Amino acid sequence: MQNKKGLYILITLGLVVLVLSVIGTGIGAVYIPPYEIISNLLGNDIGSNQLIIQNYRLPRIVIALLVGAGLSVSGAVLQGIIRNPLASPDVIGITKGAGLSAAIVIILFPKAPIFVLPVAAFLGAACIAILLYLLAYKNGVKPSTLSLVGIALGAICHAGIQYLMVKFPLEVNAALVWLTGSLWGKSWDDVWLLLPWILILLPVTIIMAVKLDILNLGDDVAEGLGERVEVMRMVLLFIAVGLAGSSVAIVGSLGFVGLIAPHIARRLVGNKHHLLLPVSALLGMVLVLIADMLARGLMPPVEIPAGIFTAVIGAPYFLYLLRKMQSTP
Amino acid sequence: MKKVYVGFILMISIFVLAACGGQSDEPASADETNQQEETETTGEDQTSSESRVITHEMGETTITGDPKKIVALEFSYVDALASLGISPIGIADDNDENRIIEPIRDKIDDYTSVGTRKQPNLEVISSLEPDLIIADLKRHKDIYPQLEEIAPTIILGSLAADYQGILDGFEVIAQAVNQEEHGAEILELHKQKMEELRAQIPEDETRTVMPAVVASSGFYAHDDDSYTGSLLSSIGLTNAIQSGDERYNKINLEQVVEFNPDIMFHMVAGDETVVDEWADNSLYQDVSAVESDQVYQVDRNMWSRFRGLISSEQILEDAINHLYKN
Repeated sequence: MQNKKGLYILITLGLVVLVLSVIGTGIGAVYIPPYEIISNLLGNDIGSNQLIIQNYRLPRIVIALLVGAGLSVSGAVLQGIIRNPLASPDVIGITKGAGLSAAIVIILFPKAPIFVLPVAAFLGAACIAILLYLLAYKNGVKPSTLSLVGIALGAICHAGIQYLMVKFPLEVNAALVWLTGSLWGKSWDDVWLLLPWILILLPVTIIMAVKLDILNLGDDVAEGLGERVEVMRMVLLFIAVGLAGSSVAIVGSLGFVGLIAPHIARRLVGNKHHLLLPVSALLGMVLVLIADMLARGLMPPVEIPAGIFTAVIGAPYFLYLLRKMQSTP
Repeated sequence: MKKVYVGFILMISIFVLAACGGQSDEPASADETNQQEETETTGEDQTSSESRVITHEMGETTITGDPKKIVALEFSYVDALASLGISPIGIADDNDENRIIEPIRDKIDDYTSVGTRKQPNLEVISSLEPDLIIADLKRHKDIYPQLEEIAPTIILGSLAADYQGILDGFEVIAQAVNQEEHGAEILELHKQKMEELRAQIPEDETRTVMPAVVASSGFYAHDDDSYTGSLLSSIGLTNAIQSGDERYNKINLEQVVEFNPDIMFHMVAGDETVVDEWADNSLYQDVSAVESDQVYQVDRNMWSRFRGLISSEQILEDAINHLYKN
């Protein structure tokens, strides 16, 4: 019964993602009707709009899908291992770590080659994850320590970013776009950078869904069931970092997706990860697709960073969720 | 349960396939356009076959013929092009025509806005089919490959340049549009004009100046290394902040008091600024410029955003009018 409902939800969401992708491809400085897009995707030549679709719109749609899935599954995994619904890549400092090293590159090394920025951002995220694990480790890692240390590390990185911004107000411009998160100017090159990460880590995560369910039973029970809790937690943590780090490296610190998508997914399909993870991924895709559609289409030719919309959609929804959780314990 | 996985894996593969399908089309279409471009350029070759290698901040770019359809992603480049008598077809004007200062608006024709300087719209730029794009190192470095795909692109410093840097950039732009000699003439005229303006400043001028953007978020003093600061000091107006490690220092009231400028030029941004808050403060009233009533409000677009030859002359005329003509 539960599975059947889950399946319906998956299929519905899948369709929503598909429809949004097609409509979204049409939205921007030039409106392109959906039938032209479908015709072009099927290989037909549609004239002048083809270049816009192929060079600018499609890569952004694909990146929105990948990033949406990456960030939200990362959030779902983190919420699973930390056993705290408030965990997300933003909260435990991963995106802040990426943000700090990106800000350092943008502000202090303006002439660095282009490829340095995503690499640095990813390394920043990875460093924070390693630090997080080392600092939180004391005869094993307790979930609560993990999240608290993460928040502290995030705060330190945030302070670093703030310092750079105050110290170099002129360079803030470029850094701000990155720090808000934006899919502006993304190309197929970015897709190829991001695709392997998501394509490998996403199925691995879904295969490990059962382990997440077991972890959710509590460390004692999990150990009783013969799981090596510490190892599992570490592996899962680094998967989450890989997913979020690679996504953030490409689009900048797009907030709230990793927090909200798993939350909505939980409301829809409950806590079983084999359903929760794919539903989160699809919801993340929907969120980022909508945010980037608004970014391109709200007041063309002006591009608005998509991160503003994930925050605008995300923050109020989150408040609503919190209130609802209070009334139904 | 199996069904759920199968469904999900199916969906992922659909997306990937769709993505790859899109991609496999892409080189083909890119080739086509390349061919089109090639035939176009060979067509142009008959009129001017000469190609030049322009060295700029991101390396070297080969430009063939005389670029006519130019997109400028910073106001400096609009100023440079207008000085050379070229009207850009696309400008990143932050979607606000009023940011183009009047003396330059008079010189150029209608253009298409390509959005903000921060995130110029690639779709619009490509739809204009330009033959040259001029972009800024700080703002547009990361989209350089995408810009190059649209048209030959040169990257210069505008946002972070001082007055000399702007002059250097002008020379590169003149080369890029195949007007090197014309550009040199214009630069010579500009330097003469600057000399004339300098002559209007008394020899014994010892007062210190502080140009600053004043906004609600703070007071941003432009020091001696900044564009406005270096411009003013090139005609003998000493900047109140000689050495700083940043060109646009956000400073507080106490620092203003400490630097104690004799003249202040306020580039006002917004209705309410920090200076309004400071106005009643006795500390602020003790600043030399405030005491001697030498605080002038100036146009931020002209004084800070444009950074070019025409605007430089305008700024100095503006400054001299304020300081010596009243």
